[in-house]
Amino acid sequence: MDIQTLANLPVFLWLIWLPLLWSPVIYLVGRLARRRWATDTAVARWIALIAILSTWLPFALTYQEFKANGVLSYTFGTITLRLDGLSLLLATAVLGLSTLVILYSNAYMHRELGESKYYAMLVAMTGVMVGLGCTGDIFNLWLWFEAMAITSYLLVAFYRDQPASLEAGVKYLVQSAVGSVFVLLGVALVLAQTATLDILQIQAYVAAQPDSVALLAAGGLFIIGFGVKIAIVPMHTWLPDAHSQAPSGISAMLSGVVIEAGLIALLRALAPLAGTTTTWGTLLIFFGILNMVVGNLLALRQQQVKRLLAFSSIAHVGYMLIGLGTAVYFGEVAGAEGSFFHLLSHTMMKGLAFLSAGALLYVMHTARGEHDPLMIADLAGAAQKYPIIALVFSLALLGLGGLPPLVGFMSKWQILVAGFETRSLIMYGIVAFVALNSVLSLAYYAPMVNAVYRKRPSTAVQSGLAVPPLMTIPLVVLAAGILLVGIWPNLVSGLVQPAGAALMAAFGG
Amino acid sequence: MSSELTITAVTVLCLLGVALYGLLIVRNLFQVIIALQILVKGALIALVLAGKISGQINLGQSLAVTVIVADTIVAVVGLALAVQVKRYTGSLDVKNLSTLRR
Amino acid sequence: MSAWLIILTIGFAWLGAVCVWLAGDKRPRAQHTLAVLFSVAAGLAALALIPNTSDQAVISLNAGSVFGQFTFVPDGLGVFLTVVATVIGSLAVIFSVEYMRGEAQLGRYYALILLFIGSMAGLVLTGSLFLMFVLWEMTALCSYALISFYNDDPKAVRGGIKALIITQIGGIGLLVGTLAVYIYLGDYQIDTLLAQAQTLPAGVLSFIAFTFLLAAMAKSAQVPFHTWLPDAMEAPTPVSALIHAATMVNAGVYLLARFYPAFADVAGWKTAVLTIGLLTALLAALMAVVATDLKRMLAYSTVSQLGYMVYAIGVGGVFASQFHLLSHAIFKALLFLGAGAVIHALGTRDMRQMGGLRTQMPVVSTTFMIGAAALIGLPIFNGFWSKELILESGLEGGPIWANVGTLLGAGITAFYAFRMVWMVLFGQPQGKTHVHDAGIPMKTALIPLAFGTLTSWLLIGRFGSWLQATLPYEQLNVESTEEMLLAIITTPATYLALAIVALGMVAWWQRERLTGLARSLQGVGRAAANGFGFEALNQGAVSLTQKAAAALQVTQTGQLNWNVLGIVVALVVVLLVLAGV
Repeated sequence: MDIQTLANLPVFLWLIWLPLLWSPVIYLVGRLARRRWATDTAVARWIALIAILSTWLPFALTYQEFKANGVLSYTFGTITLRLDGLSLLLATAVLGLSTLVILYSNAYMHRELGESKYYAMLVAMTGVMVGLGCTGDIFNLWLWFEAMAITSYLLVAFYRDQPASLEAGVKYLVQSAVGSVFVLLGVALVLAQTATLDILQIQAYVAAQPDSVALLAAGGLFIIGFGVKIAIVPMHTWLPDAHSQAPSGISAMLSGVVIEAGLIALLRALAPLAGTTTTWGTLLIFFGILNMVVGNLLALRQQQVKRLLAFSSIAHVGYMLIGLGTAVYFGEVAGAEGSFFHLLSHTMMKGLAFLSAGALLYVMHTARGEHDPLMIADLAGAAQKYPIIALVFSLALLGLGGLPPLVGFMSKWQILVAGFETRSLIMYGIVAFVALNSVLSLAYYAPMVNAVYRKRPSTAVQSGLAVPPLMTIPLVVLAAGILLVGIWPNLVSGLVQPAGAALMAAFGG
Repeated sequence: MSSELTITAVTVLCLLGVALYGLLIVRNLFQVIIALQILVKGALIALVLAGKISGQINLGQSLAVTVIVADTIVAVVGLALAVQVKRYTGSLDVKNLSTLRR
Repeated sequence: MSAWLIILTIGFAWLGAVCVWLAGDKRPRAQHTLAVLFSVAAGLAALALIPNTSDQAVISLNAGSVFGQFTFVPDGLGVFLTVVATVIGSLAVIFSVEYMRGEAQLGRYYALILLFIGSMAGLVLTGSLFLMFVLWEMTALCSYALISFYNDDPKAVRGGIKALIITQIGGIGLLVGTLAVYIYLGDYQIDTLLAQAQTLPAGVLSFIAFTFLLAAMAKSAQVPFHTWLPDAMEAPTPVSALIHAATMVNAGVYLLARFYPAFADVAGWKTAVLTIGLLTALLAALMAVVATDLKRMLAYSTVSQLGYMVYAIGVGGVFASQFHLLSHAIFKALLFLGAGAVIHALGTRDMRQMGGLRTQMPVVSTTFMIGAAALIGLPIFNGFWSKELILESGLEGGPIWANVGTLLGAGITAFYAFRMVWMVLFGQPQGKTHVHDAGIPMKTALIPLAFGTLTSWLLIGRFGSWLQATLPYEQLNVESTEEMLLAIITTPATYLALAIVALGMVAWWQRERLTGLARSLQGVGRAAANGFGFEALNQGAVSLTQKAAAALQVTQTGQLNWNVLGIVVALVVVLLVLAGV
């Protein structure tokens, strides 16, 4: 490939390649630096920051191009990459959160041995997820998905001398691997039936011959396969372990974007099969309700902060699934927009919740080399010593609980409006039930907020260290986002509306 | 469908069945990983079969090769985790790997 | 002009919240000063709104997609409640300067109060149902956070979360109602709903009417949702005065009054409203009779008075209800702040530990007695006029049994109010024998309120014509001050009511003679103390949820084999569902 062709490549490819190219550089330079100056591994963390910041340039250009020309696509050989509203939404969430997480990890991971590996994997995962959003055929979708899974296995089991962390890693790996085999089987069925892997061609095939048992089964396999990663109940059992045992930055990534990437992968795979049956929408709504109830009830009795937050992610996936189901079944674009808005707001809120809980965990335990989990009791009186962390943590929790004027309220509202727009009695009932669940979730968010603002500090708080200033920056940025978008939801409509339109186009065909 | 294809399809189903059954009952972590491998092998043959059925044998086989690569990485990571598990918990029994619950 | 005043009213309060928080807990003096300055500024801006009312939206922003137009309409009803929120709010803040002196975490306290004042002003001024819901929930959030202000006390934490959950459950009513309005009318504007209510299908309109009623019941602590309000008394007393007596709890009454023209013709709606109001007024009054905690007793009394306001709307007396809301906001804030002064001095909330304070705290005692007199409904005090107005509307629009009920309620109110004054101010000192009267900040808050209690009724005519001028959909039947006062004085019902009030007071004097009757009422008293079983209902729901959660936890085995089984089960279910199609 000569320079000329390279320069002619569309800019959105750089959005995928750049992190993937940076990743080995980070690892090698980090390792070399470590070999050269035995104790200092600071190099890796700064290169990672430069790497992720450099990715914003192609992002900005891509965004402009997308605004001007709509869907961007590029084909080499048999592989097609297509960037539509959905891809852009995922790319924004991934890039935004991973930038903040890298900034945050600078202090958080600073005493860990495998720092180079950590950053290399994190940056690679970023690129892989952007790629996942852009893929145009279902086998490549699986490939990106698998690549994302592999990078995340290593990150979940990062503390490789901790039994709990290993346990979480093993469960995550086994369950994800089983899920990924189901996706492959689905791919095989689609290939056997339609003789193609390209999403648009499959869609054309379905439009011509909608009745196919094989495609129906393939869709089911996709729901199960991707469902493991999305933590659809009853395949959610790995999630609380993995999300609570990973380093906090990774917990934020897993909850904030990895589950959502799985969701988008599922939508991509399911979209061309939309014509085969209307059951997809029903299934999404059904699993949405199940996730919401199970996630909320299980979170209710947790004593570990990160584990509680992990269960709440299961519930939030439920809200998104309900919105998407409404969109798919009833053709309500508001449902899709609401869900994607909720996806973004969940990225911000859950990212912030994990990062700020992580900051407290860090100053109370991790910074002294302890691996104790952060308990709710440890939170007591944290506001006295860490007023900013306490405030942003409370904002994140109340936002997750759906209280205005925070962003979580606005996005839930949009999902509920979609439910009402169907004018179906069952959906009215579901909307009321969603609202009731949202109230129930306050029963576990609110006590944490109360604990943080207690006057009598816990022993963990008393002996806590100071928060590194660099760690607070990403927290404040996310908190500002939660407030601003909450007050003025139009700020993200430029992302949410094209994503909703893309989904409706994909499913409507 | 010719008998050749039927036999292959049955093989796929048998592999999947054996592997899933294994995942439900085996307790040794290495055996779990072997069961996973059998599961993936089932999918591999399914892909080749799909290529054959759709008349695109090359495509099916190239997919299978790609899957082998990805799957090997997963197996390596899984085995590495298993080694660490053995080292830090002293056992490979998955029953002992259930401290995270409720 | 009005647009700027609205922005200033809400803006001063919210800006104050940020400034107080930024001042930091290490500078309590700065926090006190900032809080007072900003709340007074908000109050002044709100007062300046009075001559600038309008029935048109003066602020309108397009929030896009499904969020509609964010509008603000400074009409009479909205401005009136804004003034109540901000003026009583600033008095409560001034009171807090003394009450909260030396407390930790003042930043959070004042920031939340100021956030609340701004939200409450916004809630009543907005012309968009969506924004109203947002602010409705924000006031609930502030209320929750302030109830559990003393986070180290598990009772305060429980009370806060209970208040939050119950009002949120009611909030679901407002939510689905608002959604229905949006779906059927295409926007969230209150005016649209009032103008086009009759074009809605009858089922939809009554759905909206009853869901709004549900929301109002939870917010205004109507039976059976009333149980959160007494438990909310763990909040610092100025908060109780402001949020749980004078402002937020009135939001439900406001909601009903605001939409009365749209819902009045819905079958069964008015009957439901008047029944709920009457039931609440009576049951809560009975509970107040047996309460021994001063603040809980006042809380029950608030619930009971709110019941009167709801009842008034049910019988069509929207003006009477709003006028009583004004009187009640003033005299109940006065009573709560007076109680706060007493509690601050004695360090207990138990009325059995009080007594004989009349001579030791003359200012507090005098103002407290003025408040109590208004609560009882003695002539001249504002509570008298507004309560008589409600009884009169009841005569016009309510059934006989309801009239009997309200009169009975007035008697019980007189009884418990008299009992309260007696136990707190008269008799022998029980606990601490030497206490000081309130300081300057407390007096600064108490005296204007006492003055208001004595005089606010003189505004009845202007208040009425003002409301009527800017509320095109309401038919208020208001006349001039003299005519309305004359009408009250010349109605025989007024004297009947006064006689019953007198009977209630005599009953307290003769309480020893009435032991037989008291014993027979003991069962009622005990039932009243347990909230007539509603408390058990709440707890049942909570424990059921907890049990379900505990049962579900068993499924999280943490074992790999079971986890894989989950996947297999899901696969089978999905394939079966797909095969069934």
